[in-house]
Amino acid sequence: MSEHGHDHDHSRTVKPMVDEITDFEVLEIALRELCIEKGLFTAEDHRLFTEYAEHIGPTPGARLVAKAWLDPDFKELAISDAVAAAKEVGIDWLEPTGFGTPSDFVAFKILADTPTVHNVIVCALCSCYPRPILGNSPEWYRTPNYRRRIVRWPRQVLSEFGLQLPDDVEVRVEDSNQKHRFMVMPMRPEGTDGWTEDQLTEIITRDCLIGVALPRPGITTNVTPLVRAAIRPIEA
Amino acid sequence: MVDETRGSGDEFAVLTEISKPEQTWPAMTAKYGVENPLPPWKTSLDGLCDALDRSCRANDELDFTFKQRRDEEDELSADRYAHLPYPENQLLSLAHSLLKRGLIDEADLRARLASIRSRLEAQ
Repeated sequence: MSEHGHDHDHSRTVKPMVDEITDFEVLEIALRELCIEKGLFTAEDHRLFTEYAEHIGPTPGARLVAKAWLDPDFKELAISDAVAAAKEVGIDWLEPTGFGTPSDFVAFKILADTPTVHNVIVCALCSCYPRPILGNSPEWYRTPNYRRRIVRWPRQVLSEFGLQLPDDVEVRVEDSNQKHRFMVMPMRPEGTDGWTEDQLTEIITRDCLIGVALPRPGITTNVTPLVRAAIRPIEA
Repeated sequence: MVDETRGSGDEFAVLTEISKPEQTWPAMTAKYGVENPLPPWKTSLDGLCDALDRSCRANDELDFTFKQRRDEEDELSADRYAHLPYPENQLLSLAHSLLKRGLIDEADLRARLASIRSRLEAQ
C-alpha cells in the first residue's frame, strides 16, 4: 500500500519526470521576477500571456480553410477580408487575447493557392507568424536557415520538406512583418468529395497553412510518431 | 536606455556560469528518461517575451522592441550561445539583452538566482 492510500505501484503507472531544478528553470523565474519588480508587467499579465501561448494552435486556420472549400461565398470573404473571415472561426484578429496583443500587427491576409500558384510564408527578418490563428511557430520557421533560403531557393527548400511542385506551378514566397501576417489557403485535394467540414478540417495541417506541405486524404498530422517494435509481440 | 559602451560581445559572468550543456533539456531527458521535447519552463518564457514586447512597445525609452529582441536573439544564439540547444539559447539571449540594457542588474540577478533556488528547494 502506498502512502496516499491506494494500491498501485507508481513506478509503473507514472511517467518519469525530471527530478532536479536546473539553472535554466531558475533563470527564467529570476528574469520574470526582476522584470515584474521593475514594473515592466505584472504577474497576472505574464500568467495570461503564458496561458494564451499554451492555448493557441492551428485548428482555427484549418477550420477556416475547410469552410472556404465548402462555401464559395465564404472563400471570397476569406480572400477579400481575412479579418472578417477569421471572426467566423472565433478569432478576433484585432484583439486575439482579450487583453492586448503581444506585438503590434493588425493586417492579416489569406493567400489562396490556384492550379498555377503555390504560396508559402516566411518572416525573413525575424519570426513574425499568424499566431492567433495558427498557434506558435515551429522551431524551424524561426531558423536563419529557413528564413534565408526559402526566399532565394524556394523549390529547393520545399523539396527538403518533401514537397515537389511541377515546373508550371509558380511559387510565391510571402514575407511577413510586424504589421502584416499571412496564411496559405491550399487547394482542396482530390478524393474528398462529399466530405464534411470536420473531415476536411482534419487534413488541413499546420504545415499546409504555412505552405510547406499539401493536404492529402488520410494525412491528419505532420508528426510521424516513433514506433518501437513490441518487446513481446502478440503471436498471430 | 541602452548602454552604448556594451555590445553583444560583452561577457556576463553569471550567464557564462549558467550556460553549460550539462543541465540543458536534452541532457535532462536523457538522464531521467522523459519524453517532453521542450522543458516545462518554455511556455512561461513565451509569456515573458510576450509581456515584455507589449510593455516595451509602449515605452520608447527602454529601446527594446520586439524586432530588437529577436535580432539580438538570432545573433547571440548563433554566436555566444551557439553551444546551447533551443530554447536554452533563447533564454540566455533574452537575459543577455536585459543585462546589456541595464534593465536588470547583474548583481541583482545573481542574488535572485540564489534566493529562488533556495525557495524552490525548501523542505
